Amino acid sequence: MGVSVIVFGLVQLVPGDPIRLALGTRFDQETYDALLARSGLDQPLVTQYFSWAGRALTGDLGVSFRSGETVTSLIAERLPATLTLAFASILVALLIAVPLGTLSALRPRSVVDRVATVLSQIGISVPEFWMAIVLILVFAGTLGWLPSGGYVPLTEDPAGWAQRLLMPAVVTGVVSGSVITRFVRSSVLEALGADHVRTAQAKGLPGRQVFTWHVLRNALLPLVTVTGVQLAYLLSGVVVVEIVFAWPGLGQLALQAVQSRDYPVLQGAILLFAVVFLLINLVVDLLYTAIDPRIRR
Amino acid sequence: MRSNRLLPVLAAGALVLSACGGGGESVDTGAGGGGDGGGGGGDTLVAAVAAQPDQFDPHVTTAYPSFQVLENVYDTLVVPNAEDLTMEPSLAESWEPSEDQLTWTFTLREGVTFHDGSEFDSADVVYSYNRIIDEDLTNADRFANVAAVEAPDPQTVVIRLSQPTPNLLERIGAFKGMAILPENAAEDIDLTTEANGTGPFQLESSDASSTVLTAYADHWGGAPSVGGVEFRYITEPAAALTALQNGEVQWTDNVPPQQIESLGGDDTVELQTTPSVDYWYLSMNYGRPPFDNRDVRRAISFAIDREAVAEAAWFGAAQPNQTAIPEASSFYLDYAPFQPDPDQARQLLEQAGVQTPLTMGLMVTDQFPETVTAAQVIASQLEPVGIDVQIETLDFATWLDRQGAGDYDAFYLGWLGNLDPAAFYQDQHVTDGTNNYQGYSNPQVDQLLQAGAVEPDEAARKQLYDQAAQLIVDDVSYLYLYNPPVVQAWVPGLSGYQIRADKAVNFEAVELP
Amino acid sequence: MTGAPLPEPAASPTATEDGVPSTARPPQPRWRQTLGLLARNPTAAVAATVLLLIVLMAVFDESLAPSGPNEIAVEDRLQPPSLAHPFGTDDLGRDILSRVVLGAGVSLRVGFLAVAFALVVGGLIGLLAGFYGRWVDDVLMRFMDVLFAFPAVLLAIAVLAVRGPGAGNTALAIGIVYIPVFARVTRASVLGVREEVYVRASRSVGASDLRLLSRHVLPNAAPPIIVQTSISLAFAVLAEAALSFLGLGTQPPNPSWGLMLAEGRGFIDLAWWLAFFPGMAIFLTVLCFNLLGDGLRDVLDPRQRTLMAGSGR
Repeated sequence: MGVSVIVFGLVQLVPGDPIRLALGTRFDQETYDALLARSGLDQPLVTQYFSWAGRALTGDLGVSFRSGETVTSLIAERLPATLTLAFASILVALLIAVPLGTLSALRPRSVVDRVATVLSQIGISVPEFWMAIVLILVFAGTLGWLPSGGYVPLTEDPAGWAQRLLMPAVVTGVVSGSVITRFVRSSVLEALGADHVRTAQAKGLPGRQVFTWHVLRNALLPLVTVTGVQLAYLLSGVVVVEIVFAWPGLGQLALQAVQSRDYPVLQGAILLFAVVFLLINLVVDLLYTAIDPRIRR
Repeated sequence: MRSNRLLPVLAAGALVLSACGGGGESVDTGAGGGGDGGGGGGDTLVAAVAAQPDQFDPHVTTAYPSFQVLENVYDTLVVPNAEDLTMEPSLAESWEPSEDQLTWTFTLREGVTFHDGSEFDSADVVYSYNRIIDEDLTNADRFANVAAVEAPDPQTVVIRLSQPTPNLLERIGAFKGMAILPENAAEDIDLTTEANGTGPFQLESSDASSTVLTAYADHWGGAPSVGGVEFRYITEPAAALTALQNGEVQWTDNVPPQQIESLGGDDTVELQTTPSVDYWYLSMNYGRPPFDNRDVRRAISFAIDREAVAEAAWFGAAQPNQTAIPEASSFYLDYAPFQPDPDQARQLLEQAGVQTPLTMGLMVTDQFPETVTAAQVIASQLEPVGIDVQIETLDFATWLDRQGAGDYDAFYLGWLGNLDPAAFYQDQHVTDGTNNYQGYSNPQVDQLLQAGAVEPDEAARKQLYDQAAQLIVDDVSYLYLYNPPVVQAWVPGLSGYQIRADKAVNFEAVELP
Repeated sequence: MTGAPLPEPAASPTATEDGVPSTARPPQPRWRQTLGLLARNPTAAVAATVLLLIVLMAVFDESLAPSGPNEIAVEDRLQPPSLAHPFGTDDLGRDILSRVVLGAGVSLRVGFLAVAFALVVGGLIGLLAGFYGRWVDDVLMRFMDVLFAFPAVLLAIAVLAVRGPGAGNTALAIGIVYIPVFARVTRASVLGVREEVYVRASRSVGASDLRLLSRHVLPNAAPPIIVQTSISLAFAVLAEAALSFLGLGTQPPNPSWGLMLAEGRGFIDLAWWLAFFPGMAIFLTVLCFNLLGDGLRDVLDPRQRTLMAGSGR
């Protein structure tokens, strides 16, 4: 895991002393020394790295400087919120992208296509946090239909869960959806123009069958890729959206860890993101093979 | 001196640290309670707070969000009165200093139990204080004069001092950082995520979105009237206010300052403000010419319009002040030698032989958004007298590093939660004081502060600190700006809650409408 | 950070990879032709014009701003839009129109610097990897993969934490995030050109690597990189806004759009104009860069153009 060395090194490069930060501005040398010894930060860097990496291999990511909790439990605590938002966003994104992209590919240069293109351009260009603020203003403020933020577990309050999920999922979903729409459009277009589809059409197969079988399956490949990339992005925490909607996800955790110089938490979070990224790439590759038997990697 | 916790007054911006604490699993502290809003019967009060507690070990944490919770879970021997913040009995019913002021004897309250049902006695006090002292925990400096803590019998605690300490009560009772834990608590439970106190509520659970307390029926002061309290973290002030107006929460201290005025006339919300014991100041580095020059510092002090700075940061709700201690305190000193006077400022700069424009870096941190706002106003006020202010907004970790290294021209920050004048002035202004980052040294001030620290007579003590404060202000060791308000809002009809200048949030007596 | 860094690596490399290989490109400058084609694409033309205006605004910022953008007048705070202040005033009484004008310079400068940095470093890496292949390719691209595996937002935040906030460091942070993107696009593009007849021909007559690269490979591999640059500019502006929004980017009192948005956020229900106008400015700029990128792709990327035309039948 070359990543682990980089993670560790990068984190150590960040100036700022976590111990001073934990103590605030009122400074007392003895308290400082005691805390420093307890945190293990007085050890040489190499020693710190190997003890961290050694424990990380066994799944022990250490203990947060600030809260004294284990990093694994902190991450586990945030995971449900992050997973919920990521998958809800992907769902919203696909619900937007697949119909819109397919429609505009089937009728290129039509009104539908142009409207879809403009919409997806707008969706890509609008700053997420701005959209989030405006939504909160309208739906939580003026109309008062939805809570302005926060998170409750599905098991505790299903209605509250859905209400709170709606706005952040729409914001991130619209942005991801706009990206994916463009991919769906171009890959469906490409698939429509591909030789075997023309052949199929020439053979007189009914349009619908040609479409579902040949076109969609081929268009699925790039779709899987881009969805995977989007999912990895969403899972690594949409920091700004999480903050605006008070969504207790991993992005928030990581940002707080940077700010409080909570090295163990930061290392743990980045490591997790890197692993997620690799896993998703793996899954995408596997799906490729499953969808298109021609590909053998 | 609660100032160990230097905290978001207005924990607004996205960047406020709330750290990651919490405690994934629910924390069952044993006796009583259980279930959502169980406990004493009655409904749960939902309070919107700005940030998540970092952890629940009262002897370790420095974070205000943690103390908001801990205030309701733990007790101290003595506690500040809600009205004037003088010390009154809590776990100690009475106390008596010896003739020579070196031995204080505390008589403890009887019939107090911890949340797990065990009895409270003097051994718990000795354990708690020694834990802080022996492990050099966050508040160990409060015991600097303490030679020994003894328990001659279960109802008596004796504290032996190395020198007279007139503010001993404030030192052991100002806030829940001096909480009494049951003996061996650190071995028995995980104090970072669990709690076992003597307070009116027990810690039920805490996660990344809220902390839940349930009423402790066997509390020595009687069971609270609400069944529990849920502290819900809502970072955005506007969102917290909306939640209050929607009825999602019943209480919040996260009110946007710009709304204070308009909310006064809003009958869906009960809003109260009171001047806090916090203060904000600008400090210049004596190690960096020309800021070592008294005239230069005085010039800057004359150039700043404190009213305008306070107005910009707090929309008229803050109290401009040229000393540290707020008007409400019995140690307040009415002393305001600097009226905004750009001409005098220019003259002083000339007198100091300073080439204008003079560039001054001003270090602020986005952890406290009001410093960023106020710094911009100060920059615009100093520009006409020939000082070019370069604002540097840093994250707090970097900020502290540079403060510690003396790598700055000037910084802007606040001290929060001080009660005793020694806490307001001693460490910050005594020569080589632990928090005298600016490098101020005035033998006269040193003398006055040392005398004040051991003077048992309150009136004589105030005089000493008044004299010290005047010198500190005249020399511009700190350039004092204003005392911010405590701003809290709740639903109309909520009763039994009292807003406090020390920002302690206590729901013991609160009743829902 | 917004949908910024990640959606876009996906958005273009694949598309451009598709676009490159099969078409033989005559090695001649095509600027005139490109501009001509671009002018015939109304959306891209409009986008380019608007961008030109924004750039002009950024260049002549101080003289265009109706009043001093950092002039504080607390008594005039939170004024709604009026004739005196067409966009209203902020919480310190500053004229928002002036700050939006000045913010253009700040936001664009960071955007351009970031993309320039990523383009030079990433482009060089991609060029070497693509041209020399084998272990050079392996080493460089593995390194790029590792960099790419870091969440973009965190990477930028970490860079800023190391280097401290400020416009220059923001540009650097965003630039670093984009290096792998440019490296990949360039590499893919170079791979497509490397085996072309004219390159092989030059090589066989003994042209030096440097000459090969500069005379043949680079010019012909350029189009996808140009498209990528335009699109990256869009996301760099967005990323700058997001980082400033988090308080890590541009420093007050200097206005960048993201910072203004962050400052205005707390006032949204009291004074919508604080956040609305800088938000619109970001949106418009980003939209124009994206539309221009699309237009450029249509023009410079013949296969895609063929595809569109072909499917139009």
